[in-house]
Amino acid sequence: MGFAAGARVIRAEFRKTLGIWMAYPIFMFFWAIFPLLWVVPFVFQGKALVGSMSSPAFAQLTGSGNYMAFVLIGAMVSTFVFSALWGVGNALREETYWGTMEYIIASPTHPLVVLIGKTVAEAAVATLMACIQGVIIGVFFGVHFTLLKVLPVLLIVAMVMLGFYGFAIAFAGFTLLIKEVHGWIHTLEWVFFLFSPIRYPVNVHPITGFVSLLVPLTWALVAIRGIILLNGQGVSLWQTVGVLAVMDVVLLAAGYFAFLWLERKTRKDGTVGMH
Amino acid sequence: MEERVQGSKWSRVQGQDTGTLGPSNPRTLSVIGHYARAIWAENIKEWKIELCYKADFARTLVDPVVFLLPYLLYGVALVGGRQSEHLRELVGTSDIITFVTLGYVFIGFMNMALWAMGFSLRKEQFFGTLESVFAAPVPRWVFTLGMACHSIMHQGLIIGVQLVAIFAVFSITVSPVGILPSLLIVAVMLIALYGIGMIMASTTLIFKQGWIVSEILASIVMVITPIAYPLAVLPVFMQKAAMAVPTTYGILGVRHFLLGEQMGFGIGTAFLRLGVLCVAWVAFGLIIFRVIDRYTRRSGTLSHY
Repeated sequence: MGFAAGARVIRAEFRKTLGIWMAYPIFMFFWAIFPLLWVVPFVFQGKALVGSMSSPAFAQLTGSGNYMAFVLIGAMVSTFVFSALWGVGNALREETYWGTMEYIIASPTHPLVVLIGKTVAEAAVATLMACIQGVIIGVFFGVHFTLLKVLPVLLIVAMVMLGFYGFAIAFAGFTLLIKEVHGWIHTLEWVFFLFSPIRYPVNVHPITGFVSLLVPLTWALVAIRGIILLNGQGVSLWQTVGVLAVMDVVLLAAGYFAFLWLERKTRKDGTVGMH
Repeated sequence: MEERVQGSKWSRVQGQDTGTLGPSNPRTLSVIGHYARAIWAENIKEWKIELCYKADFARTLVDPVVFLLPYLLYGVALVGGRQSEHLRELVGTSDIITFVTLGYVFIGFMNMALWAMGFSLRKEQFFGTLESVFAAPVPRWVFTLGMACHSIMHQGLIIGVQLVAIFAVFSITVSPVGILPSLLIVAVMLIALYGIGMIMASTTLIFKQGWIVSEILASIVMVITPIAYPLAVLPVFMQKAAMAVPTTYGILGVRHFLLGEQMGFGIGTAFLRLGVLCVAWVAFGLIIFRVIDRYTRRSGTLSHY
């Protein structure tokens, strides 16, 4: 299959995925707004436990006592990242539900090309939602974004997303093997909630602090919060970019080879059409 | 022919069901027996499907522990330890680990009502069996009660594992005298949640992608229910809204019995309000389900995807 043909498949898949998104506009509304609503219990929990909107103990761990801003930024970035898991990792399982999986497998296109189309579409939708969330956080919660802050943040987000798409592609291969993955994606989400500072500072416990160093999201969130909340104090941007670049290479390569292996194994086992 | 005879027999049984219900009527007992068998069959079917995916089933037991830990560690990060003086001032107990753990146990029950039952009809659509289920000679509420029966059992198992894990790691101390009244208030709460579950199940019939309604409602209920905080920290309008949610009384009641949390009202009041909510939510749920069921049949959209 040539490059031009591959590009046509990617474009077709992009249009199809966006079409499905547009068919259920409430989904767009939901994913733009509700991840921020899920932060509200954390704010009330903070008020109940410390009695104010700032916590000295939290400041010792993160450099800022503003726990609301901490969890809001975590929510925004995690929405972006988890869109890769849901949109790409779960993509082939959804094709099974729709009864179109066999057509994709039987078509003269490698499933990886189809997945790239889905990845591009999901990235576009996730970017739109993150922008809406950024506006809401800026307008209603007083977290200020300036161009000087936004540009390095975008760079870090792009770096972390690259690695996550590698991971999601491997996960899509995993869905071919074990079929029912909806719950596994939830589990993965919660594992990331536990081992990366999305909702709490992981250095509060030595085990979570250590394990989270292996997760790209940890490096990204620490740098992003440093840039937005602490005006870049204590943030080594290029060190973060370097670490993320190494992780991206590893995750993309591992994701690619894992997908190829899992797809081949499923075909050989004859279990593609199983539910 | 046999099907026609069977069908007419069922029609007669159901017809009599509307007119002469009473415990002394043997036909009523027969109908109840049929319904009980259908409920049990639905429960067993769900267990069989779940146990087909063994790794996934094991995951559901571990998940709630992984889910809970960030909330506990967040609390520890906020106060710099396990005891919060501000929480003591608000509710009379300072142990944030026990307080938050007992609150989050109820997430499972909310999931049962808002997710498991809400998603049940959509799953039948995915499997291609919705029309078969709807053609069966039992009322639809029997089907959803079977789903609820399975969910309660599964959630009970999940909560058991969750509590054992958290007790082992964090050495939680609760009052053993409060266990029985806690189970009683949870049982009453489950009846009310069944009513909410009926509404959620019916949303699938009309919206098809009904999970989004479940998710929206679950998100709102998560905020107004005092899971990891007392009602006092919520704005007044949210406090009032929380009074209509069965899990509010479930959580406050259980934490009161096991931990000594001050609820702001008496135990009798909690049971009375919960009883009223049971009647209201179940009646409302059955009516909504019936209306939507009839609408989708008349509009011919039952099989739409």
